[in-house]
Amino acid sequence: MSKQLTRYAVTFIVLFALQVLILNNIRLGGYINPYIYILFIMLLPFEIPGWLLLILGFLTGLTMDAFAGTLGMHSSATLFIAFLRPYILSNISTHESAEKKGNPTLSTKDVGWFIKYTLLIVIAHHFILFYLEAFSFTHFFSTFLRVILSSIMTAFFIIISQFFVIRN
Amino acid sequence: MNSLLRFLEKYYFIILFLLLEGFSVWLLADHNFYQKASFGNLTRGATSIIDYQLSSIDKYLHLKQTNIELMVENVSIRNEIAKLKNKLDVNKSSCNDSIGGVKFTYSTARVVNNSINKQNNYLTLNVGSNEGIKREMGVISKDGIVGIVASVSNNFSTVISLLNTSLKVSAKHRRSGSFGSLYWDGINYREMILSEIPQHVNLAQGDTIVTSGYSSIFPPDIPLGTIEEFALKDGSFYVVKVKLLSDFKRIDNVYVIKSHQAAERNLIENQKQNE
Repeated sequence: MSKQLTRYAVTFIVLFALQVLILNNIRLGGYINPYIYILFIMLLPFEIPGWLLLILGFLTGLTMDAFAGTLGMHSSATLFIAFLRPYILSNISTHESAEKKGNPTLSTKDVGWFIKYTLLIVIAHHFILFYLEAFSFTHFFSTFLRVILSSIMTAFFIIISQFFVIRN
Repeated sequence: MNSLLRFLEKYYFIILFLLLEGFSVWLLADHNFYQKASFGNLTRGATSIIDYQLSSIDKYLHLKQTNIELMVENVSIRNEIAKLKNKLDVNKSSCNDSIGGVKFTYSTARVVNNSINKQNNYLTLNVGSNEGIKREMGVISKDGIVGIVASVSNNFSTVISLLNTSLKVSAKHRRSGSFGSLYWDGINYREMILSEIPQHVNLAQGDTIVTSGYSSIFPPDIPLGTIEEFALKDGSFYVVKVKLLSDFKRIDNVYVIKSHQAAERNLIENQKQNE
């Protein structure tokens, strides 16, 4: 149990270090802002109780907000994916989905399943995040473009990171 | 209580989510300048409709108070105008007015009784000698002459209405300046007769009739009405039918005119007659 806690704490720190030190400084034309810190929410175990999931989601977002200086923006979006996660997990059809033990990672699931899972979570998160940032639908399509491009980038980084972890 | 607990147990996930999300949005709206402004606009848009309705109800309830305030303001403005007009007159004639004051001052009054359907109509006002009202003061409304004060008690005064066949006031055709006397023929409460306009005056339908200022009761150039039709009578004078601006049926707030020079003027005019 404590071993698992340490693992999650380390994951958390590593993800935030990556996010804050590197990815936050990458601004490709203002349209691509990858946010891989949400991988922390994705990697939480299947058996996690709902309240803990929501609170962890909220706190993760709040931490990100503290770094980005946008109080409430990331916490809203991250909380939203924490809320969606159980529904997404129970709805992605796969021959392995009957088994709901351990972590939803690439090592325990097949690649197709994980890509689907990643895309759903990432798009949901980025959708909320970027529209909250714009806080209007007046520039709907330019915001939408940012959502799509950033989602592709984030998903790419998340999936790559999984191969990296497996190899180790 | 039990069912409430069961409800909470069943939906705690959603409730907790909504609580935290609400808190997040509050943080967002409260700590980020841009979102704060946008959120403010959004809520203002929704509440301004309700606010508008509420304020219109509120306005309606305070109409009476507003009316009184407007009346008071009107009086002060009219007094100001009278003062300025007097100054202008003094400047024009470039001589010093020995009185130096204003010729006319106004005070407000309300009509408490009124009639239009008799041959000799009278009005009653809610002001009397306590308010400084005296006989033979002029009474006007915003649309022209109402009448002349006939008798005064402590708190009320009766006014000979313009719609009284025994009252004649001096009026003039504004464009040409020729004057005649205006009286009511007792037929239509919206129409009066202007007589004694000489034949050579070029009248037209719609021309404005104003007070002449030849009497000391009313200031000059108060619009009274417009020419409806005119005809020659006995060869040399026009009889003009004047459509009144004021609707005596709906007269409510009026102004009583105090003429400061009336006494002096009457004195000198009477002297002349007695000689």
